[in-house]
Amino acid sequence: MKRFFKALGKYFADFGTAVSKGDIWVKLSLFIMGMGYIGRGQVIKGLLVTALEAGFALFTIKISWPYITKLSTLGTVQREEVFDPLTMSKTVNDYDNSLLILLMGVLGIVIIAAFIFIYIANIKAAFRTMLLKKEGKHLNNFREDLRELVNDKFHITLLSLPALGVVFMCILPIIFMVCIAFTNYDAAHQPPSQLFSWVGWKNFITLFANKQGSTFGYAFAKILIWTLIWAALATVTTYIGGILLAMLINHQDTKLKKMWRTLFVITIAIPQFVTLLLISKMFGNYGIVNGILQRMHIISFLQNLGWISTSYVPFMTSSGLTHVMIILINIWVGVPYQMLIATGILMNIPSDQLESARIDGANKFQIFWKITMPYMLFITGPSLVTSFIGNINNFNVIYLLTGDFVTSDGSLAAANAKDVDLLITWLFKITSESVTKQYYMASVIGIIVFIICATLTLVTYSRMIKGDNEEVFQ
Amino acid sequence: MKKKLVAVLMTAAMAASLAACGAKTETPAQNTDNTVTEQTTGDKTEEQTGTDVVINQGSDDAIANLVAATEGTVDLTLWCSELESYQNTMKELAEEFKTTYPDVDFNITIGAQSESTCKDEILKDVEAAADVFVFADDQLNELVQAGALQAVTTTYTFDPIVANGAGAVNAASLNGVCYAYPLTASNGYFLIYDKSLLSEEDVSSWENLVAACEAQGKKCGMDFANGWYLYGFFSGAGNVATLAEDGVNNVCDWNNESGLAVAQAVTNLCASDAVISIGDADARAQAKDGDLIAYVDGTWAIEDFTAAYGDNLACVKLPTFNVNGAPVQQGSFAGYKLVGVNSYSDNIGWSMLLAEFITNEAAQLKIGTNTQEGPANINAASQISSPALSALGAQSAYADLQRVGGSYWTPAGTLGQTLYEGTDDVQKALDDAVAGILAPQ
Repeated sequence: MKRFFKALGKYFADFGTAVSKGDIWVKLSLFIMGMGYIGRGQVIKGLLVTALEAGFALFTIKISWPYITKLSTLGTVQREEVFDPLTMSKTVNDYDNSLLILLMGVLGIVIIAAFIFIYIANIKAAFRTMLLKKEGKHLNNFREDLRELVNDKFHITLLSLPALGVVFMCILPIIFMVCIAFTNYDAAHQPPSQLFSWVGWKNFITLFANKQGSTFGYAFAKILIWTLIWAALATVTTYIGGILLAMLINHQDTKLKKMWRTLFVITIAIPQFVTLLLISKMFGNYGIVNGILQRMHIISFLQNLGWISTSYVPFMTSSGLTHVMIILINIWVGVPYQMLIATGILMNIPSDQLESARIDGANKFQIFWKITMPYMLFITGPSLVTSFIGNINNFNVIYLLTGDFVTSDGSLAAANAKDVDLLITWLFKITSESVTKQYYMASVIGIIVFIICATLTLVTYSRMIKGDNEEVFQ
Repeated sequence: MKKKLVAVLMTAAMAASLAACGAKTETPAQNTDNTVTEQTTGDKTEEQTGTDVVINQGSDDAIANLVAATEGTVDLTLWCSELESYQNTMKELAEEFKTTYPDVDFNITIGAQSESTCKDEILKDVEAAADVFVFADDQLNELVQAGALQAVTTTYTFDPIVANGAGAVNAASLNGVCYAYPLTASNGYFLIYDKSLLSEEDVSSWENLVAACEAQGKKCGMDFANGWYLYGFFSGAGNVATLAEDGVNNVCDWNNESGLAVAQAVTNLCASDAVISIGDADARAQAKDGDLIAYVDGTWAIEDFTAAYGDNLACVKLPTFNVNGAPVQQGSFAGYKLVGVNSYSDNIGWSMLLAEFITNEAAQLKIGTNTQEGPANINAASQISSPALSALGAQSAYADLQRVGGSYWTPAGTLGQTLYEGTDDVQKALDDAVAGILAPQ
């Protein structure tokens, strides 16, 4: 932290020195950015930089500034229209579009920030050129500058495009989405016909506080708990299952090893959503499994026991049973991946370790728990964390399996949630399947999911790489 | 306050149009039997004195003006159901529309967009949505609220109020302003059954139906876990679930004494193994297997059930059910398909003319014949008859317009599921559901 502030201080100090100690050309480049270069004969570079400045000024003044000024209110003029039945045309007032204001406002501010960064760097560069000239050193002409970009400064050439992409494809949308969480953007405030506005932290309070008439707090707690249970169980079961399956296939007594492996890989080759939809139909209330159970009179047996009141086993429609089914089905879908990974690693376990353990008289379970598992965990630790995070956001499995599920919990229903929803499917339902379309709540949930995932990742990774684990393993 | 301003502007526009047309055409103010509960989109002070819908008749001059003012190609996009029969019929109609105005060069694109989800697609980006679209009438409120619908204050080729049934016009109107052109009047549900196995007596009440199914070892069903169907039981007994005056929240009294009796009746009904709660797709499969011999569904399912029952397919209004020992007629939702004009359309005039063209009598007759749906147009409807449409007609006396807010669906579906599975505490299930339905938005 201290180092950061020191660096920040130096950054601005350098800028101050450049301005105060710079000659007339450096000072002129405060206003016309290219002057620092033109004064030293680097005309093309100077013109390019000036063109950049002009482009920025034009964009900001002409396009983004009107939006930035409205950013504080997100617009005040609502759309009004008058239809003229004689000409069959209509006149519309000059209305504000809150969504555009927010989008262009954020874009404008990001561009201004980027420009300030370039501006400061430019002054410093002009100052450096001045010093070079004073010392009588060689100044690059434009051609030499270009050549440098593919030689000494090749990293800049390579990284500039990805960096721009990150800013416009990741950072900008994220800022935009985070902003939505602080507005009242929903179906009743839908641009362009309606305006939406800032509401502060209200939506976060709605999510955490259980107020009268709002069940978001209740739904959030319930769904968060299930999300974490699901992520933990889904990760652990497929992981252990994958290792066991791989060991079974690798066992010396197993015949036709390649065939077994191929069969399990085929389950990966079939698109996941096809498998999931098919399974959800199979276990449906009137699906094939219930049909078989009925014809075997198991249904009537269970009814006599008083375990079920319906004429089917509600595999996919009752809370509890569905939770268990989802995890079981996920084992089927997820184990083959883990088996492939585990197969590769198992083959690489140093055989001297296994041999010496055997000579020392360790039995198979001891070898598994003391050598195989620690080795596996050490190698696959990071991917385990990734798959845990992946499961928190495992939209497909939950959404495709639980299409028929109807919650019997009124409080969940009021918040557009179901017992088996993960945070991510809940978010989807709020934005896409509910009528009220509370985009702001979806955004709040999105932020929370990000915080959970980021914290978990940071904590586990930093613990994993702490100390010299390479030796710990030995 | 903005809404008020809009309202004033709207009124001004209407007044202006009245004045403009008054000279040429006598404007008969057609009164329709407006039985819809009055809803306002927001500002409660905005008192609507008359709920009668008025549509002015524009002159032919206006069309001539429009033709004269049009330059270049007019691009129009029309969204309608993805069903092949619909797509083909609309293509034909679009061609006819082009020949009606030979002086103008049209480029009409027809997109496939299910009426039931039309609203979602339009509200995603209303400026990029189709100029003219077909949608189900329950989406009217939200589309009006989002300002996506061009109000139908003037029509140029025919008067939708005279041509269509009063129910359809009501469904297309809000606060005395018509917002869409009625297209079909068959978005409702009724009982489909196999008449070789069930007599008319059997399908007159749920009790008889269940007894007949039990006797034959067959099933009868409905999608109980769906608020759209469940509504009928409660509305039949006089319970209410509808929009509040603000047009967003709900009013619901299902947890009162009469609601409790209804819920008890539904639970009793579902206690029989012969009654199953089953969705559309599963039902069709079971009907083909021969297990399901009676099911509550709409016109869109007729084709599949014909495949299952063959010539024995019959349709009838919904059965009665016993509440406290007395038979009560099951109610239902009545739905309409409407054609709306996007108020953000670049060619608003031509969009309105196209919407008129595909909803006039000839077009509705064509659509009705090709798609099995019942036209909203009175004359066209009288020329089409089918078992499904007559069942709908018989049910229409007990049907309500579908006007419920967004928070209705999930809790109502949950209630249906609970009642079907059976519960010890029906009152609590009802209280939970009503709390959810009333949850403020």
